[in-house]
Amino acid sequence: MTQREQLDADVLIVGAGPAGLSCALHLANLIKKHNDSAAKPELSAENIYVLEKGREVGAHQLSGAIMNPKALAELVPDFEKTAPLDTRVTDSAALLFTEGSSFRAPITPPPFQNAGNYVVSLNKIVKWMGERVEAAGVNLFKEFGGASLIYERDGIAGVITEDKGVDKHGKPKANFTPGYELRAKVTVLAEGSRGSLTKQLVQRNKLDNINPQSYGIGIKELWEVQPGRIAPGFVAHTLGWPVPMDMYGGGWIYGLSNNRVSIGMVLALDFADPQFDPHAAFQIWKTHPYVKQILDGGKLVRYGAKSLPYGGWYSMPRNYVDGGLIIGDSGSFLDSQRLKGIHLAMKSGMLAAETIFEALKAGDTSAKMLSAFPQKIDQSYIKKELWQVRNFHQSFQHGMLRGFVHAGLQFVTGGRGLIDPMRSHADFEAYKKIDGRPAPERFKGDGKLTFDRLTDVYHSGTRHEEDQPCHLVVSDLNVCATKCVEEYGNPCQYFCPAAVYEIVKETNGGVRLKINAANCVHCKTCDINDPYQIINWVVPEGGGGPNYEGM
Amino acid sequence: MKILVITEQRQGKWNNASFETLAAAEKIAKETGSAVTAVVIGKNISNLAEEIAAKNLSEVLVVEHNLLEAYTPDGYCVALKQVVASAKPDLVLFPHTYQVRDFAPKLAAQLGKGTIGDCIDYRHEGGKLIFVRQMFQGKTVADVTFSGEAPWFASFQSGAFRADLLTANPSGKASIKAFAVDLKAEQIRTKPLELFKEAKSSVDLTQAPIIVSVGRGIKAPENIAQAEAVAKAIGGELAASRPICDEGWLPMERQIGSSGQTVSPKLYLALGISGAIQHVVGMKGARTIVAINKDANAPIFEIADYGVVGDIFEIMPALTAALEKAKSA
Repeated sequence: MTQREQLDADVLIVGAGPAGLSCALHLANLIKKHNDSAAKPELSAENIYVLEKGREVGAHQLSGAIMNPKALAELVPDFEKTAPLDTRVTDSAALLFTEGSSFRAPITPPPFQNAGNYVVSLNKIVKWMGERVEAAGVNLFKEFGGASLIYERDGIAGVITEDKGVDKHGKPKANFTPGYELRAKVTVLAEGSRGSLTKQLVQRNKLDNINPQSYGIGIKELWEVQPGRIAPGFVAHTLGWPVPMDMYGGGWIYGLSNNRVSIGMVLALDFADPQFDPHAAFQIWKTHPYVKQILDGGKLVRYGAKSLPYGGWYSMPRNYVDGGLIIGDSGSFLDSQRLKGIHLAMKSGMLAAETIFEALKAGDTSAKMLSAFPQKIDQSYIKKELWQVRNFHQSFQHGMLRGFVHAGLQFVTGGRGLIDPMRSHADFEAYKKIDGRPAPERFKGDGKLTFDRLTDVYHSGTRHEEDQPCHLVVSDLNVCATKCVEEYGNPCQYFCPAAVYEIVKETNGGVRLKINAANCVHCKTCDINDPYQIINWVVPEGGGGPNYEGM
Repeated sequence: MKILVITEQRQGKWNNASFETLAAAEKIAKETGSAVTAVVIGKNISNLAEEIAAKNLSEVLVVEHNLLEAYTPDGYCVALKQVVASAKPDLVLFPHTYQVRDFAPKLAAQLGKGTIGDCIDYRHEGGKLIFVRQMFQGKTVADVTFSGEAPWFASFQSGAFRADLLTANPSGKASIKAFAVDLKAEQIRTKPLELFKEAKSSVDLTQAPIIVSVGRGIKAPENIAQAEAVAKAIGGELAASRPICDEGWLPMERQIGSSGQTVSPKLYLALGISGAIQHVVGMKGARTIVAINKDANAPIFEIADYGVVGDIFEIMPALTAALEKAKSA
């Protein structure tokens, strides 16, 4: 067995995103106030550790992003003076796209109204939060991912970080450094959407709610466009073309300062067609005259993709165990109707911090003590916001039309609608078999307005150490080469927005799955959407992954 | 306190980290009122012993043996165990070299001790030595100290102390003592072969004036020979795009692109390369780009000065033949 160096912390937070950093900062602030009043026991912000797998804090942050500032205002009251907010929303439009035309809703429906919100780069916001967290004395470790959990009592007692310097065959290289064993009184899982440790814990301790988590995929491009094409602060959401009516999804166009535009598309992953290509759908969407006239003559700056948890209230896993809490996207703190999660992630982190603070003072970090966390959520605006839309996403599992009927009824009944709670299935269960349908032709792009996936991946700044074990662990490659070819036509080659999965023809006539792991943008779609659930996403060597500078 | 410094040499040449560790030992000795003994280990090392005897230490032990001519972990452990048993040091210091990483933990473990490896500093506090080592890739440092009885083992990171601060021996020269070790050939379980320098890279693509590069269009590893023939005929180096090296059909050092080499030859011949941006960034600086690809829409043609839409398997042998003919003419 590998001998690991061991470190003890009071609190270990896995993931430096909005949730994890809000938790760290709020807790550091509470500790400072506590120590200033000379209260016992003395606590220290230095005993809070944060792990981040990205090269830099913020490197893996991807969002549209429109931010509701209410949680940040609680956390950093003078945030408007120091935070990189980009621009305030000045006008919000809801657009219906048909092929070639667009219609703006005369009155923007409430879910698409964004007065008072900011258009931001989540990468910049998180980077700024990271600086504050470090200034507060918290230990922030970049380029370290949580590889496995340490289980103790009926919960968790820390994390083992990933081994560094292992070659692709699993053998130690000259720079081999075994992962650290980080033990903590409370371990907070703030890994974002489909966290790899959260997944282990939820499965092991059977923490799933009545509905399994369901997800969407968000694909984004940041553009620099010709001056005057879009007003900073103008935000538009589009429904319709080219998203088929039996699917749930739409596009966004956000005007930023300095002639930059954030565009993107979110699509629920419970689509039935295993050969559906979300990246291609997004590229085709850009050819709509409304989008094209904004982008024409402009330049792609950056690309990214990330999954997001759609399930809402009834998919929220039990978020406390002995010595552990689950916050942010990992804990389903996202409003799937408004597609907003930043403020809820932050608030969940802050409530977790308050829970932990009480637990540390009491010297008791058992599940019983930490069960104060869900109680705090119930009393906060998190519950209020998520409860209203508790059946929203489930309504759309049978297409847009039925979805709008349900959603309309839910809107007038405070979220109850016709069926409450409305049940849902796991996304991959929606696939229908291809029944011999040939593989569709792949989207290529014109290299100016539209791009193939490899070109887009290049613009994500993704980099991994090449000589390391494949971090996309497929438990049975035979299934890929035989059963999946026939039944589903290898959906991984379509749903992956980073061209990681490639079906290679063998000289003997068969096929083989080739995994280009170095392209991976850490969106987790494969872990979610493979029909046989045989792909397991594990953390690669720390520092690997995309570089979402300015995204 | 008595400090033993195990120096490192190979074929009569110092590893300079030895002097850094001697400088560290001198500093510790000054603060703790200790004496420093340096150990030189190997064969034909008397001149090395003379050299360090001029430094500020009290004694040099020369551990010479035929079986210590080449480094073996067993040989060093057997010898140094005897040195430690006889010299009875409190502290044994090493430079943190690859060789030390190999044998020092083994030596310490054989004596039932631990090692504090790769230290960057130390502090002497309340009569106790505290060693400082980095964690989390230097993001944080940990103070580590020994529990239990001496001897204690520690190694210092290269560059942690300045070798030039090591002072001369105030009395002119430290005493040099030969230390006879009892070492038998059968105690050494490994057999060192000849020393060699790892070939850095047999090929330097960045200096090649002509590069013949293959992509996915080459289809199978056995077809690479055809491209190699073209390269040979034209006097160029063979290179490839990522998928080829990723499959192991050519070594990584021949990969051109964002995760490989960036080149700017006079002539770049792209055979069956589609021209993904990841590849193009590594070769777009070439003065002349000639691309052959059967897909007329391949992006490589956008940057190619000359393009041939065609089957490389027809063109490669014909090209080789034409080149050979031109050369012999």
